[in-house]
Amino acid sequence: MATIKIDGREIPFEQGDTIIRAAHRAGIDIPHYCWHPGLSVAANCRMCLVEVLPPPGRPAMSLDILRWDAAKDAYVPEKKPKLQPACQQGCAPGMEVLSESSPHVDEARSAVQELLLLNHPVDCPICDQAGECRLQDYWLEHDRKQKRMREEPIHKPKAVVFGPTIVYDAERCIVCTRCVRVSAELAKDPVLSLRERGNLGEITVAPGRELDHDYTLMTEHVCPVGALTSSDFRFKARVWFLRSARTVCQGCATGCNAFLDYDPRNNTPYRHRPRENMAVNTYWMCDEGMLSYKRAVDGRLLSALVGGDDATLEDALSAAKDQLKGHSSDPSKVAIVLSAQHSNEDNFALVTLAKTYLGAGDLYVSGRPLGRGDTILMSEDKNPNTRGVMQMASTTPPRPIAELLAAIDAGAYHYVIALGSELEVDANEAKDALAKLKGVVTIAAHDGPLAKSAHIALPACAWAEVDGTYVNRQGIVQRSERALKPRGEARPGWELVARLARALGYAMDWKKLADVHRAMAPEAFAHAFTDRGTDKGADAASDKAPTDKGQPDTKAEVRA
Amino acid sequence: MEPLDLDIEEGQLELASEPMMLNMGPAHPAMHGTVRIVLELSGETILKADVQIGYLHRGFEKMCERGNWSQIFPYADRLNYVSPMLNNVGFSLAVEKMLGVTVPERCQYYRVVLGELARICDHLICNGAMAMELGAFTPFLYFARAREVIWDIFEEETGARVTHSFGRVGGMAKPPSADFKEMVRAGVPRVLALIGEGEKLLLKNRIFLDRVEGVGRISSADALSLGWTGVCLRSTGIPYDVRKSHPYLVYDRLDFDVPVGTSGDNYDRFMCRSEEIRQSWRIIEQALDQMPDSGPVDLTDPRIMLPPKEEVYSTIEGTIQHFKIVMEGIKVPAGECYSYTEAGNGELGFYLVSDGSGTPYRVRIRPPCFASVQGLKQLITGQMIADVVPTFGSLNMIGGECDH
Repeated sequence: MATIKIDGREIPFEQGDTIIRAAHRAGIDIPHYCWHPGLSVAANCRMCLVEVLPPPGRPAMSLDILRWDAAKDAYVPEKKPKLQPACQQGCAPGMEVLSESSPHVDEARSAVQELLLLNHPVDCPICDQAGECRLQDYWLEHDRKQKRMREEPIHKPKAVVFGPTIVYDAERCIVCTRCVRVSAELAKDPVLSLRERGNLGEITVAPGRELDHDYTLMTEHVCPVGALTSSDFRFKARVWFLRSARTVCQGCATGCNAFLDYDPRNNTPYRHRPRENMAVNTYWMCDEGMLSYKRAVDGRLLSALVGGDDATLEDALSAAKDQLKGHSSDPSKVAIVLSAQHSNEDNFALVTLAKTYLGAGDLYVSGRPLGRGDTILMSEDKNPNTRGVMQMASTTPPRPIAELLAAIDAGAYHYVIALGSELEVDANEAKDALAKLKGVVTIAAHDGPLAKSAHIALPACAWAEVDGTYVNRQGIVQRSERALKPRGEARPGWELVARLARALGYAMDWKKLADVHRAMAPEAFAHAFTDRGTDKGADAASDKAPTDKGQPDTKAEVRA
Repeated sequence: MEPLDLDIEEGQLELASEPMMLNMGPAHPAMHGTVRIVLELSGETILKADVQIGYLHRGFEKMCERGNWSQIFPYADRLNYVSPMLNNVGFSLAVEKMLGVTVPERCQYYRVVLGELARICDHLICNGAMAMELGAFTPFLYFARAREVIWDIFEEETGARVTHSFGRVGGMAKPPSADFKEMVRAGVPRVLALIGEGEKLLLKNRIFLDRVEGVGRISSADALSLGWTGVCLRSTGIPYDVRKSHPYLVYDRLDFDVPVGTSGDNYDRFMCRSEEIRQSWRIIEQALDQMPDSGPVDLTDPRIMLPPKEEVYSTIEGTIQHFKIVMEGIKVPAGECYSYTEAGNGELGFYLVSDGSGTPYRVRIRPPCFASVQGLKQLITGQMIADVVPTFGSLNMIGGECDH
């Protein structure tokens, strides 16, 4: 493979690679603001300038300059090499590039950094970006001086509302146009543009429009400084107090890889950040998914319900035992409802209870109703694990919930044991149908329609509170890490299934997640828990420098 | 009860010959520091001693692993709390060694002078307390009065009398005050005069001499194998002083002698400290003469130093610099180092490990009195019970650094 040399280190490149892309792949960080691996090249920030040595036997491209000579107290003519933006300069075999090792590059980076801070406001103490800001990092790495300008800085509009999700601060903006490119290239909605030039330049929304496409939060995510801030995250937390867990977005069947940033001190999630996975979501997430982190807190079922009233878990389990009395005489009267909202582990536990202990074979599946999808990332199926549930019982695929209601009307069942709280059918209709039964137990993380119509609801952990695996629409098994401690009385879904089984008198003695994994077909799921060491660590340059220890999951998981 | 009709000859009174166990400390007014000594006595003679430390354990080393490098100074103050300045200087030098930087010359002299003032305090209090433990309360008051003079100087310079937290990585918290040199030049002779008066009460006092001479002897070979350093080692005749053997700061430019003893007993330790106070004054005099009156005290590298406060509030560069240092800490290159200085009790070593972040990965301290205290058992075995406390005092065990 053809190679180039950066600071003497030989790295391979692929046809069409720019210097920065080849370096990025090799784990070499060339400082940059405007370049993003998922966007087109703008080459406007000039931070990535490098010195490219001329081919052997050819003179270097050089510029005539005047340099201040303190000894002579005068400017003296001098030559300096013409520097190239690494984000735009293509690689050629044998090319020699000087990045860290060139004093000219050093000087250029310092000058660019000084220029970018010329009119920057003293905002770090009130800026959401502080702590993950490129301006801060690069100033200390490459500049480390006071600016020489002593004029009043240019003042520009602050706190401009761009749309329902984004607030813009023109004074902090370095006009790198990443947000413009995200709108045009990712969302295919070129609603942002640039107006004015030089130090008056600022980002603006198209007249008569708002920044309201489905990927507005990506404009904030790619902003290397604090110019674009998310109205949701604004002034809520300081990033150095946050920890990150590598989770999978629960918004739809796409299963975008995400970082869930949370504050361990108050056990509260604050935001999602996309996690690079070239096989699934590349660098991006949609707004719906970005804001879906709130479901870890909002609308939760925090204690057990018996007939709609709060109860302790023990009371609820003994009530369940009473209600389900008689199920063993005719197992065909028991219907099992799996959930496309829950992880493989939770569903597997319920399938095991049904098949191994109860002898019930009738499986149904519940989930959220279809929603809006697009051709970029959003899936119409708003459940993160539909495919996992369908694979769970491959001989008799679970049937939709509407068929369960019809069967109940026909008197086929006396009991329902369910997972999840969501129903894709009319909630009242379901409530009426379920009310006819002797026993309806659901294990639910949220207080949704199914949890409301069940006679007994047990509080399960949300995805952010447990380790679990999910199968996305492509059939990729993905692991989501635990971030938060369980809220309220919540316990992992599989644990509640096992406790329900024990309450019913069965020896389902799973105590740890590892017990579940041992029981699950290991070749299908367990690997998602063992591939942690194989992640490729290349997140640093992709966008917001991660303050966490998290690494992106770029390795495509084994297809189940 | 048995009748007292035993036929006992005069002078042959029989008493139970089983040794008596006695618990000294950890919290007893006569104990010098928070330590426990379990003694096995035959009459008043010590047959066995078991020295147990750990009653002042604060988890110093573990505490250091959670803040950033600059946040350790208050903890370092409380190691040897009799001479906090020496700990501060020692820790600054250790981190600076990791960073590969050297502070400006003015700061080096400043550190030497402040450090020697702290050493005078340390030796004064040790000697004073030792005399007091032998019943001589008055000299202790003279010595405490002398320390007051030095503490006034510290208060003027640092704002605090005891725990100054005055060291910084790459400099000191503040530059020397305008009157610093005059204060020291006027103050220390007063200190020496007071010490002279105090010592006059002791050094020709038959009781004092009888109680210290030949008590708590140790050979130089034993002292070396116990890992002793500092005054305790020098009292046995070995002239090991980090300031001479491995000069740091500007000690190689200063002319001073290392006093040594001959027999390693309490008297030698007392006299070595007493002489070292005079040598410290020699060092201070020379250092004050050589110390520049102007020039930088701190480094200027923004990766290490905080910016001036007015820049923090008015310029973005200052804000960024402040933010990076305060929120993320000084980034110390990954690696490890051992850095050692002569503190009040001997070689104070810091073994630091950095993972390249702003927070120490590991801070290990080598407190000089940890090694000294392990020799206490040997020193007091065979002595009288009344010699325990003064002998222990002469080792100058400081719980804050011993229980690390």
